[in-house]
Amino acid sequence: MLQLDRVNVHYGATRVLWDVSISVGSGEMVAVMGPNGSGKSTVLKAAMGLKKPSSGVVSLNGEELQTKPATVRPQRGMSIVLERRRLFPRMSVEENVMLGAYVRKASEARETYEWVLEILPEIKPHLQATAGRLSGGQQQMVAIARGLMADPKILLMDEPFLGLSPAMVKNVLAIMKTINERGVAILFNEQNAKLSFAVSHRGYLLESGRVVLSGSGEEMLEHPEVKRVYLGVREAAA
Amino acid sequence: MSGTHLLETLINGLISGSIYALIGSGLALIYGTTRVLNFAHGELLMLAGYFILMFAVTLGWPVILAAIATIVLVMVLGALLQRVTIAPLMKREDWAFSVIAATIGLSIFLQSGAQLVWGEQYQGVPYFFHGVAVIGEVRMPWQRIAILVVALLVMGICGLILYRTKLGRIVRATAQDSEAALAVGIPAGLVHTTVFAISAALAGTGAILLSPLITVNPWMGTAYLLKGFAVVILGGLGSFGGAVAAGFLLGLIETISVAFVPSEWSNVIAFAFLIAVITARPEGLFAGRGA
Repeated sequence: MLQLDRVNVHYGATRVLWDVSISVGSGEMVAVMGPNGSGKSTVLKAAMGLKKPSSGVVSLNGEELQTKPATVRPQRGMSIVLERRRLFPRMSVEENVMLGAYVRKASEARETYEWVLEILPEIKPHLQATAGRLSGGQQQMVAIARGLMADPKILLMDEPFLGLSPAMVKNVLAIMKTINERGVAILFNEQNAKLSFAVSHRGYLLESGRVVLSGSGEEMLEHPEVKRVYLGVREAAA
Repeated sequence: MSGTHLLETLINGLISGSIYALIGSGLALIYGTTRVLNFAHGELLMLAGYFILMFAVTLGWPVILAAIATIVLVMVLGALLQRVTIAPLMKREDWAFSVIAATIGLSIFLQSGAQLVWGEQYQGVPYFFHGVAVIGEVRMPWQRIAILVVALLVMGICGLILYRTKLGRIVRATAQDSEAALAVGIPAGLVHTTVFAISAALAGTGAILLSPLITVNPWMGTAYLLKGFAVVILGGLGSFGGAVAAGFLLGLIETISVAFVPSEWSNVIAFAFLIAVITARPEGLFAGRGA
């Protein structure tokens, strides 16, 4: 479905992604895990067209998108929940959610709106509230709702648990599973290895802008390097 | 100060303020949406002054037709200015200073161009509205009253577009987070161009209303640009409504001060007020109510 093939990204003279290849199949939940500054967010931005790769191919269902503007992605069934929610803070929750359907016809959007409110009933009481005044957790729900309004086949989620309480993390995880079970592929990034790989079908480990490891969620959790560095588990002496 | 004098002063303040509001709200719209400080905004006002002179006086077109042609022309110029000069620079990582330099350069270019095309002489435009309105004991030319009425009308329409239409929603979304807007499919570049065109229309309206009262000349935009920036800062950087309110406030402060001190002091008092506001409230008087 989504394919990043040998993607390189530069910020000015600094190279931040080195030949990154990542794929997400239809209906899959895929995690990109890595420490701070490893380039996780850049992977998602390159996929979404918010950061232009200096080389490499980004394709969705076989269509090359790397030279096309970001605005094309929602039309092709890809949307993103940006890091730290990035709502339109002075607009109402309803306006924020409806803007997620900018590329769609009003009648189609109305149908999706009902579906989104069914998945995220928490936002119903706040539809007329100013988005910037909601709590972090509530804002994340609105951001997910906005992302879903494009009726995506693949949803990118940039650090969806950042700054959330443990209870809210559980809540967001449950919502991600629900969305995924309804056939929407999810590509998300996260710093916490357990959180990343326990819920994902497949995962990638990114270090200094390079994919250093990939495999199924289970394989990633069991990998000695992931266990030692990211889960703090020491192998028992033979 | 007698009641009549006070009323006259207040009306005059609102009239001056409406011009500042027209220019400042355009600048605020641009800054709020694109984070660009457009130093060539005053020159759009100047060009609109020459266009109305050309259409209404030289060609003798009816005023309404001349005004529409002026607004359309200046909107096209505003959009072109953004597309040709600013948009390519904004694709760079560190565009803030280069855009300021480019708009200053453009301002000088347009001023010099106007001198070459129309000469250095000051040219007058006759009143569009004749007669005198009588409000109580105050007598005021209709031309001056029309400034307030038309400016309020035009800014009201802009406000309605901004807060009640789909176009307004996408402009506000781009202003509040252009990357998030891009991510939902809003073509931010096109929104920026539209905003420049709308801002140019606001400046053009100011020029049409002003030109019969002041003379049209290549430098007429400069003083209004400075006042426009003052209004943007007072209103809370990037706030359309704040800029409108601040424009009227600045006009009133200037006009009221002239009632007590010689008119040469009006700018001193206006900018002293600006400095006092920045010191006490750096975010401006109406911050947080941006587009």
